Amino acid sequence: MALVTVGIADFKVSNNPEDTLVSYSLGSCIGLAVYDPVAGVGGLLHYMLPDSSINQEKAEKNPAMFANRGIPLLFKSCFKLGADKNRMIVKVAGGSRIMGGAGAFDIGKRNYAVLRKIFSKNRVAIAGEDIGGSYNRTLYLQIADGRTSLKIAKKGVVEL
Amino acid sequence: MSLMEEIIAAVEAMPPFPQVVHRALKELSEPEYEVADLVEILKVDQAVTANILKLCNSAYFGLPRKVSSLKEAVVYLGATQLRQLLLSGAVNKIYDQPNEGYAVFADELWRHALATAVMGQVLRRHLKLKLDDNLVFTSALLHDVGKVVLSNFVADRYLEIEKLVEEEGCAFQEAEKRVLGFDHAEIGGRIAVKWDFPPEIVAAISFHHQPARAGKSYRLLTELVALANNLTVMVGYGTGVDGLACRGHGLLLEKLQVKERDLENLLLLFQMEMAKTCDIAGVGE
Repeated sequence: MALVTVGIADFKVSNNPEDTLVSYSLGSCIGLAVYDPVAGVGGLLHYMLPDSSINQEKAEKNPAMFANRGIPLLFKSCFKLGADKNRMIVKVAGGSRIMGGAGAFDIGKRNYAVLRKIFSKNRVAIAGEDIGGSYNRTLYLQIADGRTSLKIAKKGVVEL
Repeated sequence: MSLMEEIIAAVEAMPPFPQVVHRALKELSEPEYEVADLVEILKVDQAVTANILKLCNSAYFGLPRKVSSLKEAVVYLGATQLRQLLLSGAVNKIYDQPNEGYAVFADELWRHALATAVMGQVLRRHLKLKLDDNLVFTSALLHDVGKVVLSNFVADRYLEIEKLVEEEGCAFQEAEKRVLGFDHAEIGGRIAVKWDFPPEIVAAISFHHQPARAGKSYRLLTELVALANNLTVMVGYGTGVDGLACRGHGLLLEKLQVKERDLENLLLLFQMEMAKTCDIAGVGE
């Protein structure tokens, strides 16, 4: 089994049943796992910021840093490997906040809000999610069977 | 021995800060340091020398030919890069040990320290703060050094600490203080005193969770380190078992009228800088 790390502002797609994609330490960032069980294709995105309009030029080089650029990119990359939008199972984790971290600090909340907006516009349903709180999460996606699991420090591993 | 006495004894037992690095940093802080003096200080430590040459010859600098002498490398790197390299090397070693009390993954404390140092520099530069870059870098890099000492104590009493965080909404650091009598910030401050760091660095480390408590002349630096720590914790750089259970210190953001979009832009700049730094330091992002 190969563990494929998806760093901050990055995404990976795979159709290799040996692979498990993983994003460590999701704080205010969001981990988005998508999987087509028929094609056996999955992808994981670890984005950091809601909207690329803050800096279009830098966004060209780092599309996976942003929800509005990374989410379409993740889906399209899966389609290239034979995935179909209607079969996609979608799971979301992250969007935490520090304590009393309202206002400008609450990037987690804005990260999640943009995702919901994109999904409702494109009629994408979320099959499972774990959002918010003040802890960090590690998200795994197994390409062999699409299983997603969530590891939270000192709390063990749960299926999402 | 009481628990608090045990913790103080553990601070006392911390090995000294590497003397070669300390002396070299002191020399570098002279407005007109002598390269020859610096080489004399550095050459005593083979590991340090090897590190300097390695960085100089790394792909990052892409030099047309290999640098093989320490003197040449010192001249080439210049004061800022050399200082950061020396500090990073020393601090990396300090954080690099099993840390059952705080870390979830190996090298987490180090990654967090490095990220906070990079974040501190990005904030200082873009918010145009009148602070010395070396002070920012050093305090940010060392801000969690108290966790090295407190690790075992936290591990032993973890359930009590966790209970306070979960049931009473305490920040992790506040829970440490209540359960152990000390928190990692004040222990870090004591270590910095022991290591002979200047008072502004001691203050920034001691109060990075309570910047309002720092003396007035050290306030800006402390607020900056507190904010940089908040932001790297938030994004998820080396967040350990304490997760995001720390209080937000947004005073600096308010004072400087940093809006949501400005902050997002700062995080973008941080992330690009961090990717570069990880590349040089050989750390996974």
